[in-house]
Amino acid sequence: MSRDAILAKIDRVNGKGDPSGIAELAAALIAEPDGFRATFPDRPTYERFVAKATSDTVTATVEPLSGLSALPAAIAAYLTENGLAQHIALQPRDSLTALDWTGFETAASARMDEPVAVTFADAGIAETGSLVFQSAPDAPVLLNFLPLHHLVVIRKDTILPHMEDAFERFGTLASDQQRSLNIITGTSGTADIEARNVRGAHGPRYMHIYIYCIDS
Amino acid sequence: MKQTSHRFSQNVTRALAEPTLKLALDRTTTLLRSRRARVIADFPQYAQARETAQKIKDHTLDNLGHYLRQFEQNAIASGAQVHWAATPAEARKIVTDICTAEGAKTATRVKSMLGEEIGIGEALAEAGVERIETDLAEHIIQLAGDPPSHIVMPAMHKTHEQVAELFADKHAQPSATQDVPALVESARRELRPKFLNADISISGANFLIADTGSFITVTNEGNAELTTTPPRTHIVTVGIEKMVPSLKHAAVFLRLLSRAAIGTEITQYTTFYNGPKRAGDRDGPERVHIVLVDNHRSDMLSDFLRPMLRCIRCGACMNHCPVYSAVGGHAYGAVYPGPMGSVLTPAMTGLKGSKDLPNACTLNGRCKEVCPVNIPLPDMLRSLRARQFDAGMASPRTAWSLRLWAMLATRPALYRLATGAANIGLRVLARGRGKISAVPLAGGWTRTRDLPQPEAGTFMQQYKKKRH
Repeated sequence: MSRDAILAKIDRVNGKGDPSGIAELAAALIAEPDGFRATFPDRPTYERFVAKATSDTVTATVEPLSGLSALPAAIAAYLTENGLAQHIALQPRDSLTALDWTGFETAASARMDEPVAVTFADAGIAETGSLVFQSAPDAPVLLNFLPLHHLVVIRKDTILPHMEDAFERFGTLASDQQRSLNIITGTSGTADIEARNVRGAHGPRYMHIYIYCIDS
Repeated sequence: MKQTSHRFSQNVTRALAEPTLKLALDRTTTLLRSRRARVIADFPQYAQARETAQKIKDHTLDNLGHYLRQFEQNAIASGAQVHWAATPAEARKIVTDICTAEGAKTATRVKSMLGEEIGIGEALAEAGVERIETDLAEHIIQLAGDPPSHIVMPAMHKTHEQVAELFADKHAQPSATQDVPALVESARRELRPKFLNADISISGANFLIADTGSFITVTNEGNAELTTTPPRTHIVTVGIEKMVPSLKHAAVFLRLLSRAAIGTEITQYTTFYNGPKRAGDRDGPERVHIVLVDNHRSDMLSDFLRPMLRCIRCGACMNHCPVYSAVGGHAYGAVYPGPMGSVLTPAMTGLKGSKDLPNACTLNGRCKEVCPVNIPLPDMLRSLRARQFDAGMASPRTAWSLRLWAMLATRPALYRLATGAANIGLRVLARGRGKISAVPLAGGWTRTRDLPQPEAGTFMQQYKKKRH
């Protein structure tokens, strides 16, 4: 069987070795992460996130919200401003569906050419202006990829400094993992024709992020 | 693809004569080089990140058996099925067997070099499955019937004018204009329904994570997630060297990969996958198959090519290679072009059929300098040349010249006499004009350029004179 033959060959070269102590060696290599990642000691996490998310390379737009209940009105304004119908694919998460969507047509899944989807980010990463989405029964993956306009809601205190902090938040053990964890940084882009950057390759062309505080 | 590395010199002649190739290569490699330089300059921690990445890969390779077993155990626990393939043929058989068992008619595919390496296209054709490439560049070359010419940008050899012509011919609803955004829009229209209706999805993985059993894809287009989510079965084919110990170790590489490849801090879409869909999930595949492929990687572990297993397939070495920039990827006649390809191709397919590749290098060292995991590519290419010589594969003329050189270089007095004579000889040939237009035995060099006239006296003669 190829499995055993491959492993036997590797063991012959490397020596069978003692598995104890390997984890410690591996951990020691990344014990001081600030030495190998971009740091921002003079800037609050939130400010860094907004600056990165709205940068030329990430191309998202950001809008602070007074609270989650202000979301429908803010989305209505976005749709009107962009000449879009008041139809949204809305992530089937209780905190979103419980809001007052009077005046909207909503659907729990995205159609093939869905113009707008609204999803909830489970975390933000300030280092790169990224959003993190963990799949779940109330968090289907395709909602983040099919729409042309990706409208994302995030709670301000879930914006974390680095990718490693997001891993800590969701758990780093095998048993902690959901089917998928998407780290999304801006919109779908391609540089495949003459290295020229174009947005809206297969996925969203526009990303708009609503940030709200839990206490308001 | 059919390997043509043994015809490298004919391939080069043809590539250099192609009127648009140089234009396409210049447009792309110039942009990629400047973008990379800018994003690295903005990352003061780069040197330490690179050193850390190298150490993590070396550590993982030192304990590869342990990590592969750990990965397998965790991937199975996540619900995935794990397969092992020693050769490309075995990997193809695993893929076709799955397709046949599924009764699959169509497969969407996310670009992966490992897929090219094992010949996934042939495997699908054999199983009677229609293959739909979803990466824009792969879509372009699939329509054109070309092999990839770069590991990150497989359609680098095409100008946008050529792509426009191709789409106008092959797309159901081509865009009216030829500008790049209109071309991208045309591909979006063409591919969107195909994502949702495929039976099987096939991808590679940029990293495997031992302690969670996860695998990672990175894309900028978002085509990986659109490809792998709707079909009922997802097949992942991946090289065993893609392993890293944990999620946090992967973060080190995610910071380096897109900086080196395309000059951005992170790719737009980084996804960690763990098995099939869970109870209650509204989307995702029902079955996930992970095919772990060796194909000579375990051989490389035991010899001087071991550092090559650190490679994360960013393509920076080819973007910065003067030979690649002049002849493009197809001339190499193999799946992996450029400096990394000139090391990998002989390792995977033997020294004999690829004997020109290690010699298609000026040893300028830029590939090593820009490599995010510090692979000593020039040293390896030099070692491959030495091995060719030892195996008696060098041409008689090369072998004869090297023997003459060795004879001189190991006899200092004779060496000084010979270089002194050559110095005088070259100055005579220059006839005081400052340049030499023809040198005996070096016609290949002087046919297209002049050799500058040397200073009076050899280096040693001048050095002695100046010291007193």
